[in-house]
Amino acid sequence: MRVIASYNIKGGVGKTTTAVNLAYLAAREGSRTLLWDLDPQAAATFLFRVRPRVKGGSRGLVTRRRPVEDAVKATDFDNLDLLPADFSYRNMDLDLDDTKRRTRRLSQLLKELAPDYDTVFLDCPPSVSLVSENVLWASDTLLVPLIPATLSLRTYDQLTRFVADAEGNRPDVVAFFSMADRRKRLHRDVIEAIPRDRGRVANTVVPSLSLIEQMAERRAPVPAFAPTSRAARCYEQLWAEVRER
Amino acid sequence: MTAGTRTLQPADGEGLDVDRVVAALGRRFTVESGSRRAVRRTHVDTFDRRLLAAGLALEHDVTARQEALVLTRADGPGASATATGLRWPAFPDALPEGVLRQTVAAPAGIRALTALGQEKRRLQLLELRNADDKVVVRVELDEPDEGAPARPPTVTVRELRGYADEAARAVKALVATGLRPAPDQVAVDDDQGRTPVADRRQPAHVLLAAALGGFATAMDDNLPGLLDDVDTEFLHDFRVAVRRTRATLKIGRPALPHPMRSEWEPAFKWLGDLTTPVRDLDVYELELPTMGGWLVAADEADLAAFATHLRRRRTAVRRALVRGLRSQRYRRLRADWDLALDRLGDEARDSGLTAGELADQAIRRAARRVVRGGRSVTADSPATDLHDLRKRCKELRYALEVFAPVVDTTMRKKVVGDLKDLQDVLGRFQDTEVQRRALRSFAEEMMADGTPAEAVLAMGELIGHLDSEQDRARAEFDTAFGTFARPAGVQRLLHLGGHR
Repeated sequence: MRVIASYNIKGGVGKTTTAVNLAYLAAREGSRTLLWDLDPQAAATFLFRVRPRVKGGSRGLVTRRRPVEDAVKATDFDNLDLLPADFSYRNMDLDLDDTKRRTRRLSQLLKELAPDYDTVFLDCPPSVSLVSENVLWASDTLLVPLIPATLSLRTYDQLTRFVADAEGNRPDVVAFFSMADRRKRLHRDVIEAIPRDRGRVANTVVPSLSLIEQMAERRAPVPAFAPTSRAARCYEQLWAEVRER
Repeated sequence: MTAGTRTLQPADGEGLDVDRVVAALGRRFTVESGSRRAVRRTHVDTFDRRLLAAGLALEHDVTARQEALVLTRADGPGASATATGLRWPAFPDALPEGVLRQTVAAPAGIRALTALGQEKRRLQLLELRNADDKVVVRVELDEPDEGAPARPPTVTVRELRGYADEAARAVKALVATGLRPAPDQVAVDDDQGRTPVADRRQPAHVLLAAALGGFATAMDDNLPGLLDDVDTEFLHDFRVAVRRTRATLKIGRPALPHPMRSEWEPAFKWLGDLTTPVRDLDVYELELPTMGGWLVAADEADLAAFATHLRRRRTAVRRALVRGLRSQRYRRLRADWDLALDRLGDEARDSGLTAGELADQAIRRAARRVVRGGRSVTADSPATDLHDLRKRCKELRYALEVFAPVVDTTMRKKVVGDLKDLQDVLGRFQDTEVQRRALRSFAEEMMADGTPAEAVLAMGELIGHLDSEQDRARAEFDTAFGTFARPAGVQRLLHLGGHR
């Protein structure tokens, strides 16, 4: 089972759209896929029309009072399941803090699901917290959407240092540019500069497109409702890059 | 993902009232009906039904717009995959990558998947949505196409993970329309490997005739696949049937009329010899990926020339095999063998031996030969002594199989377990011996053909690996034989007959 986390310290960079679209593409290829919505805002849960309700809440899951597999819901798409978020996830840090091996708890929960899934996507909340440390421990790949702007690059550097300093598992960090607008000179400059300066940046650039914003209206992944669109092609290219790493 | 399925069908002889089904479901859910599609459905399995035995059913559905593979399992969620241009027979690696392929590949092994039957159906998918417009249950309506032979229509409720209550409500609504649970369509094949029971007092020749008849049928069943070269297992199973025939003729000598020895033993030896060269090369081809993994200094790609050499040789020797199996000699052999078996079954002048007596005699004799042969093996014994012992073990194994219907089942299983471990060690020893010699001779042939040095060097590395593997097997022999020949094991063998 491969675990891919869509993560960035910053919010509003396209983490959820990335996780939802890539999870859909993995499932479409026949991989048994789970998307775990870890963000209390429950945006991925909303996109899949699943009710944001987890029996026993974050504490029930984290303390294993409720079996994790009981919280899983099928989406409308073959091979793709969702572990929904609810508002209790805002306290997940505190709940994790009360457990033994507090940085490995999510990894332990995922192991229980390993027989059922080939690929797991984690849609992470934007923060550096105990949840993030758990995400690092559980993931094979950290997929980092970056808006091509100076501050984003600074955040990216903070994130790579955070991974480098982490104890235990250090996932493979793969950044890519998201919400890019080639009409903006700054975006163009940053996109051209970064591969020379920094580590692993995917070749795919996901542009800022209104079709991607429409996901919230359509409540479905882009390749499902606009399979031949430019946005769908971008996510397909991105998935091809991530899958091969 | 699908969590489980429930299949329902109308009462005997009745058709499916689709409007009534949709109306019943519509009272509890928002029903979204897909269009009705004509489907050409092919039921796929290996020749020897390995998927069925594993509780799986694989269907290849072709509609005007798309092709899909649907895998159903008796004990849990199935899988589906989109396919393009699949033609049967095909090996599991021709299936689209993913769970379906993984699930099928495990039981199918190296056997090809073949089309076992075809039917025309009309399918319609209903998606049941809740108040959030979320799909919570899928229902598949499956009816026979007009004019096609009628397997009754079915309604399959596919539960989605996390929505068990909704699926239960859908089933309840359907049952209220008069639908009833359909009999299981996929069930684990419980009969696999179960040994039939026979009377120990029946004449020995009757039991032998039945066993030999079974092997003849196995040869016939595997012949078309062998001639078409569908997969290597057709030849393998054909050869097993021939080997079992030869062994049965040998161990059954005291109860069989003389022509069986003078005429039929040489006839089946010819048949066995005819099939050996192709099978030997098949073994190398099948093991090439494993052999590639043994390489340390050389690269797996260096074995490409060896693979080409094997294929070329196989094409040549297969031609001779096909010629032999299509010859008049083979046709006459099969026809005359059927007549001989008919005569054997009706034999008025029998040996007077019962099946039980012959079983006891044959098993004891074969067991003593194994024990004697094993005890005479010393640290200095040549490889031929171990090969000879391996042959004696095979004879004992065949005797245990042929006489299985008249010996104690539990005891026999224990004996076979002990014997298997010894056979594994001897098999590894002898196979490495043969492979080493063959690889050397292949390498010489390839050098004469001007093959690049890398390929020959890689083969040298394989020979080195086989050397150490053979040493390992030789070192394990004493323990394996010691376990087999321990007093309790031998006593069990010598008293295997008697009451079941």
